[in-house]
Amino acid sequence: MTTVKPILLAEDNPRDAELALAAMEEHHIADKVIVCHDGAEVLDYLYCRGTFKNRECGNPVVVFLDLKMPKVDGIEVLRTIKNDASLKPIPVVMLTSSREERDLAQSYALGANAYVVKPVEFQQFISAVKELGVFWGVINEPPPEGS
Amino acid sequence: MESATQDPPTTSSSAAPPVPEPIPPPAHSWPGTLRERTERFVSWVSLWSIEQRVLAGFGLVFLSIIVISIVSYRNTAVVVKNSRLDTSSHELVQLLGSIEEALIAAESGHRRYLVTGDESYLKAYRGLMEQMPEFSRYLQALASPSEQQQRITQLEQLIQQQLDIETDAINRRAMHGAEAVRHLALPGVAKRELDDIHRLIADLESSEQQSTRTRVLQSAGTTRGTIALLALGAVLQLVLLGSVYFLIHHDITSRRRVAAELRRQGELLQAANKELEAFSYSVSHDLRAPLRHIDGYAALLSKTAGESLNEKARRYLETISDSAKQMGQLIDDLLVFSRMGRQEMLHSTVNLNQLIRTVIHDLRLDLQGSSISWTIGSLPDVPGDPAMLRQVFMNLLSNAVKFTATRPKPLIEIGATRDTPGEVTVFVRDNGVGFDMQYVNKLFGVFQRLHRNDEFEGTGIGLANVRRIIHRHGGRTWADGAIDQGATFYLSLPLKRTSS
Repeated sequence: MTTVKPILLAEDNPRDAELALAAMEEHHIADKVIVCHDGAEVLDYLYCRGTFKNRECGNPVVVFLDLKMPKVDGIEVLRTIKNDASLKPIPVVMLTSSREERDLAQSYALGANAYVVKPVEFQQFISAVKELGVFWGVINEPPPEGS
Repeated sequence: MESATQDPPTTSSSAAPPVPEPIPPPAHSWPGTLRERTERFVSWVSLWSIEQRVLAGFGLVFLSIIVISIVSYRNTAVVVKNSRLDTSSHELVQLLGSIEEALIAAESGHRRYLVTGDESYLKAYRGLMEQMPEFSRYLQALASPSEQQQRITQLEQLIQQQLDIETDAINRRAMHGAEAVRHLALPGVAKRELDDIHRLIADLESSEQQSTRTRVLQSAGTTRGTIALLALGAVLQLVLLGSVYFLIHHDITSRRRVAAELRRQGELLQAANKELEAFSYSVSHDLRAPLRHIDGYAALLSKTAGESLNEKARRYLETISDSAKQMGQLIDDLLVFSRMGRQEMLHSTVNLNQLIRTVIHDLRLDLQGSSISWTIGSLPDVPGDPAMLRQVFMNLLSNAVKFTATRPKPLIEIGATRDTPGEVTVFVRDNGVGFDMQYVNKLFGVFQRLHRNDEFEGTGIGLANVRRIIHRHGGRTWADGAIDQGATFYLSLPLKRTSS
């Protein structure tokens, strides 16, 4: 593996993004994180188009996906990923404020790999994001490229 | 003379009590003029409920129909009896005619015999002698009792006399020859008796005709009455049917109206529920983010500038964090509370003993270092939603743990009683700080707290949740206690499933 595969964080709220990055920084995985601010951007990244036209192609190691995002919301992004054979192997972790049963059920039905409710308390938030980053970005073996 | 209808009828209706006057209004018992009585009756009736009035009306109509039926039955019985009497009367008249004819034939026959000695003339006489017992039996059978009977007996005696005289004359002719009876042959014997017999038979016949005429008149009157009564009965039945139709129609119409209203309300409620759902969804999403940011940036600030901050400034930052956390907790509790109200209930059977054990196990973190002595009685299985009931006991037990924390020897008792049939009462008793009974009504309200936050933590939603869940299960909640003497929380649960 020549390049480290990135973590894709889809988060429309810049403060949440900053806090998440701050959390990951503690574990020195922040430099691998690419932040998208809405669903459309996530799809642009995954399909290497728009602002990401010139990026080196390849799937991220994991996608952290917020549910409520402008333009294209998290559920829509999730559906697109899981319906595309080349994107389907990417682990998708829903990272959201919603504890609603409806969102949980819908996410899992569409094939989400995990569902994490953002804790209000910063310490808990930090440890949650950190653990997620470490688990999916370091511990978990990603699917082989091209599968 | 008596008419036959005054005799008691021989049909079964004779057992019926005397026919009562139809429609006896209850107003009879009141004194005063008719107008006063009517007024009082009207005011009395106006006190009745609709059901009572309808019942009274139906009762009255029904009673009238029964009375009419009984009277009609008796009238018809009278007519039937009259017609039977007519028939026997007719037969009697015919019989009397036959007897008279036979007597005349016998008399003239015997006279010819007296003159000629020719036995063939005695044929009619002998025939009569043979038939006499038969005639006699018929007469007895057909005669009305009383006065006709008397005449019949008299008639029989006269006939017997006549026959005796004739027999005597015939015997004399046979023994002593024609000369001995010559003086008898021409004028005939027993002329007087024969005349009497004629008269008597005429009397009998006219009497029967008289009776028949009376009966015909009576039957005609009775039939007219019966027809009138039956017509009245038919009208009453029509009234009854009409009222029943009206009532049913009225009932159905109002039911339809109520159903439509209910449906409309249901739709409104559903819409309101949807709105509420959207609202709490948005709360759960949007309200939490800023709180997370407040707490997050406060933490980041204390991390980056912590060294250079003085004691006071660090305390301020801590307070900011604590407040944000508390509000986060409040929002979470509120969301749970609102979800409890609209969540679909699962219907299964919950083993309360097991549930309590699980809850105590879940509380083990809070219980570390405490020396609570638990008393857990035998608890029944109840129908209900396991997750919701778990929430109930989680709240009650964590409350008990919380409010006994300051006691040297904390005691918590859980038990069940069955005082009311069909339901079970579960209680959670502690020897904690208790509460003042004057605030008991506030205990189960949302955001109602009886302790300051620095005494005991809490958002004031736990017991509100308990009450809401138990209500959805069809049960009740209540509590008693006293300051510093512990508290007991009760909840009743139906042992049979009820819908929420």
